[in-house]
Formats: sequence, structure tokens, C-alpha cells
Amino acid sequence: MATFLATYDFLLVSMVLAAVLALTLYLPLMAGQLSVASPGFYALGGYIAAILSTKVFHPGPGLYPIQLVLVEMVAAAVVSGILGLVVGLPALRLRGIFLALATIAFVQILGVVALNLQVTGGAIGIFGIPQPFSNQLSYMWVALPLLLLSMLFVARLERSRTGRALVALREDELAAAAMGVSPTYYKVLAFTTSAVLAGMVGAVSAHFINTWNSRQGTFDTSVNLMAFVLVGGSRTFVGPVVGGLVLTALPEALRGIADVGGLPGWLAQFLRDGRLIIFGVLIALGTVFFPQGLITPGLLRHLGRRRRVPHS
Amino acid sequence: MSVAPAVAPGGAPALDLLEVDDVTCTFGGVVAVNAVSFRVPRGELFGLIGPNGAGKTTLFNIVTGLTAPSAGHLRYQDEDITGLPPHRIASRGIARTFQNVRLFGELSALENVMIARHVRTRSGLVSGVLGMGSARREEQATRERAAALLALVGLADRPEERARNFSYGDQRRLEIARALALEPELLLLDEPAAGMNPGEKRALSDLIRSVRSRLGLTILLIEHHVPLVMDLCDRIAVLNFGQLIALGPPAEVRKSPAVIEAYLGDEA
Repeated sequence: MATFLATYDFLLVSMVLAAVLALTLYLPLMAGQLSVASPGFYALGGYIAAILSTKVFHPGPGLYPIQLVLVEMVAAAVVSGILGLVVGLPALRLRGIFLALATIAFVQILGVVALNLQVTGGAIGIFGIPQPFSNQLSYMWVALPLLLLSMLFVARLERSRTGRALVALREDELAAAAMGVSPTYYKVLAFTTSAVLAGMVGAVSAHFINTWNSRQGTFDTSVNLMAFVLVGGSRTFVGPVVGGLVLTALPEALRGIADVGGLPGWLAQFLRDGRLIIFGVLIALGTVFFPQGLITPGLLRHLGRRRRVPHS
Repeated sequence: MSVAPAVAPGGAPALDLLEVDDVTCTFGGVVAVNAVSFRVPRGELFGLIGPNGAGKTTLFNIVTGLTAPSAGHLRYQDEDITGLPPHRIASRGIARTFQNVRLFGELSALENVMIARHVRTRSGLVSGVLGMGSARREEQATRERAAALLALVGLADRPEERARNFSYGDQRRLEIARALALEPELLLLDEPAAGMNPGEKRALSDLIRSVRSRLGLTILLIEHHVPLVMDLCDRIAVLNFGQLIALGPPAEVRKSPAVIEAYLGDEA
């Protein structure tokens, strides 16, 4: 167990952070809005943490104080939330694929801005971000509570008045409006909440990855997140969480298979490096064969029933 | 064309709840609703009939804010509501059902009705997620209220069933329960009897009558089934090609030559 944890420390924390990021895509999707803006807010949160920890706070030698990481997370949340509001108000007038395209553009713009600003370190980015822990596995102390709290948040949201308003918009925006649900208010609320969460994940990730540059939170991340949600499931928060965990581990598992040996060279190569191709294929197949993803509310109900009547 | 305010059954002058004033709606070159005016006093059951494409549903869409009128004004409770977005109109107490049922198909019957409690409840993102006392009590009350409404329309036995699994007639009744959850003062029913068998139609008539008297509703009803309209409504407006061609009590409307020619011809 200890060896396993030590070998896969980076992967395990990445899986947990990916699951939180998947939830940031799920939040606007609850209201039927396909936005892939989260990587932008993730990148922003990362830069805020990187700049604060390397240029503003000057803690002494030794481990970086964890309280400061929490302060950075709050700062990232606030700034991302404000930007989310500013971007969301005009962007959410767009529907369907147009919103998706606008959010892709938003991510690109942020990337270009980061690449050209002095404060973000240009193409080199910011490196040597101080470490609050002596090993990577300890990042679980931040990542896991973040995931569990986010899951609790979304689970409770789904059963609240606000969550019902979001889902009503997803099911039928016109009927929801005729029942008194303000489409703009709730879409922007979901989008902004998602931005806040993505910013916090970025802040943690900046420390975790140690370096932050314009390659973090790009369109590639958007594709990954879409795969997490579309393959995992888009109708219950369990779907994106499982999607994020499993699909982040998948490339490692495939690499393991490739290393077993006895495979043709091209196949081993593909298993090692074909991550984006595999995700793309999964998105395509998933949307055709499992339009609601692998984990659906129906499946969860079914499992719940089975658990309640054991050995019958 | 303006119509004098009707007199309520009690004999006292009625207060108009809804006033449609010279409303016109054009789509490109087509005039869907042409300078239509009428007033609906509080408590009235007002029928809207006319051949297909006469502009009845367009008029409903205008009243509920889904379509903006090209000209004219709407007044509700003596306030101008012309051009307000649908959710604002709903929050003022106007609820509707749809001609081609628009339920939240993937959600349970109970959830469908609970959603429409939206404007009558307050809890927000934070209080709802944290499950504060007020939000919890409100949630409980919403659930009970929704269950009671399901019982009222005769669907109490399947609250957890997904809306799309209900039969067509049951979906229409579920839509009525959802609209009632808004606690409307004005209820717009768009062909509520469509697709129902004679027995279901009779039950629906009884339901409409009973909710009207129990909840003190004012109802606007679009319906193709003429006997049902004639039987149910206090007054009837007849639309043809977007124009109001008759307005009055059922017996009067039935005798109007313009109506017989346009609509009732084959039935009379």
C-alpha cells in the first residue's frame, strides 16, 4: 500500500483535482449550458496563487504555510467569481453550441493574455512555486476535502430550490420561465459558481505542479473535462466525479498495459501517447451510445434499491 | 373593437383582472393577432375558441410574455405588463399550460410541481445548500404542497414517476397541477382536453370547475371541444384569422352568424 501510494502520489492527487474540475463543467450543465470556460478560471486561479506565493507573500525558508494557500484559494475564488459574472452576463445570452464556442474563445484569450503579460512570466511562466508539503501525496489534505465539500455542495444543491430551478432550465427553458424561473439569473449563477470552484482548483494545482504557465488550462483541458462529464454522466454529480477519477487514471493504466510487453510497437506507442485521441473517441462513442453518460440517476436508483434489499 | 365590462354573477360591477387592449402581433407578413381587445373580470371563466391558426395560442403567448406584441397593451391587476419577460409575468400570478404539453420530462411528477413553487418560495443558493432551518422548513412545505396538488388532480399515487412516463391525459393534468403550484390568480389553459377520451373530458370539466371555485381563480381557456367550452365558460371570445369576431355568453355566441360561418358551421 505504501509503495503504491508513493509510486502514484502525483496521479492520485491529479485524479482528485480532475474530479473537482469535472464538477465545474457539470454546474452550468445542470442548467443545460455547455460551457467549457472552467480551464480559463483554473488558469487564472493558478496564476493568482503563483503570483501571490512567489511575489507578494515572502514567508521564510522551510515549508510554505498552508494558511497562505487557503488565502490564495479565497483570492482565486473571489477574482474568478467576479470575472465569471462579467463574462457570464453577456456570454449566457448565447445558446447551445454558440455558448460552447464563446467559452472556448474565452479560454484562448486568457491563454494569449497570460503569454504576453509581464506579471505572468510570459512564455516561461512562473516556476519554483513554494511547497506547503514535504511530499506530493500530502496534497490530499487539501484536494480531498475540496472534492468532498464540492460533492456535498452539488449534492445538496440538486435537492434545493436553486438546483430545481437549474434543472428546470435544462429540461425546458421556456416552460421554466413560464413557471417563474429567471433564465438569465440562474444561468449566470451556475456559471459563476463554476468559475469560483475552478479558480480554487487552479490555486491548489499551481502549488502542486510547482510551475504555472500558459500551457495550464488550455483547450486540451476543456476536451478532457468534456470527456469526464460526457462519459461519466451529466445528469447526476456522481457522473463527472467518477469520470474525472477514472479517465485521469486511464492513461496511466494504458501505459501500464503498454509496458507489459508482447504488444506490437505501434500499439504500445498508441497506448502511451494517444490520450487525446482516446478521449476524443470516448466522447464521440459516449454521446452516441450513452447520451446521459455511464452513470445516470436511473442507475443510482437501481443500485440504491439493490443495496436496501440485500440477500432477497 | 372594445367590449363593455361584464357584470359579475352577483350583479355588482366586476373588477377587470386582465385587459387586452388593441393587441396586434405580426410574424413577417402574417398577422397572427389583429387589433384584439377584451377584458376578463375577476373570477370569470373565459373561453377562447376559433379554427386552427386563428391566433389563440399566440394570444396566450403574448399574455404570458413568451411573444412580444407588435402593438397594443396588456394590463393585469391595473398594471401594464406589456413586454415583461415570462418569469416576471409568472411571478405576478399568471400561470399557464401548453398546447403541446411542456413538462420537465426527466423529472418526477412531484419535482415538476415543486419547481413551480419557485416564485412563492425564497431560499437561495447558500441557505438551500447549507440546509438552514428556514430553507428546510420551506422545502418541507413545498413538498407537502406539491403532493397535495398532485392529489387534487388525481395523480397522488405516482409522485416519483417521471413525467414523460405518464399517459397524455395524465400529463395534461400534471401540467394543471404544476400551473396551480404557482398560486396564480389568472390561469391560462391551452387545449387542456386535447387527446382525452369522453370520460376524461368530463372529469377535466369537473376539475376545472372545482379548482375555480375552491381557489377563486380567473381562467382563460382555449379549447376545440365545443360542447366542453359551451358548458364551462361564462363568456366566449371567437377568433378567426387573428380577429375577434364575436364575444359574449355561450348561447349568444352560438347564434352569431359570423361564428357559424367561420367555425361552428359544420357543428351547428
